[in-house]
Amino acid sequence: MCKRKSWAACWSRAGLVVALAISPLVAAQTEDSVMWDYTRKMFIGDATYSFDERIRVELPSFAEDSMQVPLGVDASGLNEPIQQMIAWADYNPIQHIFTYRPQAGVLPQVSLPFKVQQSTPVRVAVQLTSGEWRVGSGYVDAAGGGCTLPSESRMQDDWVSSLGQISAGRFSRASGDRFKLQVMHPMDSGLVANIPSFYLEELQVRRPSGEVLIQMQLSPAVSENPVITFDTATGAADVTLWLRDNDGNEFERAL
Amino acid sequence: MPTLITWLLALMCAALSSASWALNYDLQPRQIAENTWVVIGTTEDFSRQNGGDIVNSAFIVTSEGVIVLDSGPSRRYGEALKQKITEITDQPILKVINSHHHPDHFFGNQAFLPAPILSLEATQRLIAERGETYAENMYRLVGDWMRGTEVVVPTQTIQPGVEEIGGHRFEWFAFSGHSGERADLVLLDHTTGVLFPFDLVFYQRAATTPDTPGLEIWLQDLERLAQMEFRQMLPGHGEVVSDLTALKQTSAYLAWLHETLQGAAAEGLSSSEVMRLPIPQAFSELAQVRQEFERSVTHLYRHYEQAVFTQ
Ligand SMILES: [Zn+2]
Repeated sequence: MCKRKSWAACWSRAGLVVALAISPLVAAQTEDSVMWDYTRKMFIGDATYSFDERIRVELPSFAEDSMQVPLGVDASGLNEPIQQMIAWADYNPIQHIFTYRPQAGVLPQVSLPFKVQQSTPVRVAVQLTSGEWRVGSGYVDAAGGGCTLPSESRMQDDWVSSLGQISAGRFSRASGDRFKLQVMHPMDSGLVANIPSFYLEELQVRRPSGEVLIQMQLSPAVSENPVITFDTATGAADVTLWLRDNDGNEFERAL
Repeated sequence: MPTLITWLLALMCAALSSASWALNYDLQPRQIAENTWVVIGTTEDFSRQNGGDIVNSAFIVTSEGVIVLDSGPSRRYGEALKQKITEITDQPILKVINSHHHPDHFFGNQAFLPAPILSLEATQRLIAERGETYAENMYRLVGDWMRGTEVVVPTQTIQPGVEEIGGHRFEWFAFSGHSGERADLVLLDHTTGVLFPFDLVFYQRAATTPDTPGLEIWLQDLERLAQMEFRQMLPGHGEVVSDLTALKQTSAYLAWLHETLQGAAAEGLSSSEVMRLPIPQAFSELAQVRQEFERSVTHLYRHYEQAVFTQ
């Protein structure tokens, strides 16, 4: 476990900070930054794409707690079925945040917290069923502080006993059902000396028949003990949440 | 005709004087009661423009010496405050009080050494634990204003209770709502009727919540404070008041915050959705309210979410 004040500190100690000369503020607004070309190729290769403001990438104006930055993504404004959405932070040492594949009946929106190393644009590339890519952007300022300084992360020393515990809630909304869940997991990045990476890498929501409603890949940039929400278009009846971490531990519960 | 060297010297002097002028805290102590002076800061957030002068400090000139209430955000602020005090009185500094562990309230300590620096026991511990992290953050936020500032942990602790000093009858209290378990000092000067609730009360500026043990605890503290008899009150941030206006404003804002987070959790909203909720008219004029609301969601929403989860 990383016993530290912030992920920023850990990542810096690991010497893996991405050095940048360009202003992140400018980069957030423009596609033709060095990082944008680099990260875009990493996630969607040379595929053609267009920026689309209907993809909403909701972030706080600044990261009060750089280890828990709430991210909300909503591509329902596209009014088109999607294959997948890939979210990443240009200036994080581990850029990938998640890949989300909602099946029919699941809305193209999801929220979870992630870690930031420094101020960064956050990109969400949405692939439509036609194969076409649309990209939404957001930006989070990672300088915080004050009387006004972040509360310190309250790390549990007995995380082993709570590993994989899942708390969940289900809420009915106008559009269908909202699922909210929290999984206890340290989500270690592997970038801190002597602490190997240890994180949830796969999440599925399944029907009793085994049919997969939601498939999600998580990266170690997702925050410790993450709270994740997703929405279904209709009442989803009995569904089960299943997760697996990179050590092969599996966790499951009915939602 | 001036030589090149004289020109250069003149330029250098101009540059130097403008640089030092730019980093001068313009502290204006104002007397609000017998022997009692306040220095009101802006209701802004930390910046390189204001040097962290976003906080109120005060001093009471007793016949035994001066009691300084909070030392400000930097060594330079502490020095400016000390300078103003010596212009007002010949009395020595008897002691410096740190109301709680937030960086805008204690980083001026250095300027007052070797005077004793006092705080609640919890505050002493918190400053020792977090001081260095706060210093790093303050250097980042206000830059050069912090030059030469080092953490000075309070040298003595204050016990809650009544204490007579130099003709004043002081009563110290330990509260918890803003800074954590018994980490918020409150002072009532029975002699002048001035109440110092420090950061338990914010006026015309949204309250900050990074260390609250819970909004309900803070609200209870405010109920207790409202029972105290006082003639004037100096909030931790914002202007002096002579009634419950500031206290009621803080209380109304915190109650709204509590109900909003509770309601949002019951509806299953995500943190990012909560951050975008509208701020009611009644609080829209509070300085920093949108930023503080967002920050409070980060500090507190998880606890409200936990309450509606099923295990
Ligand atoms: Zn404070």
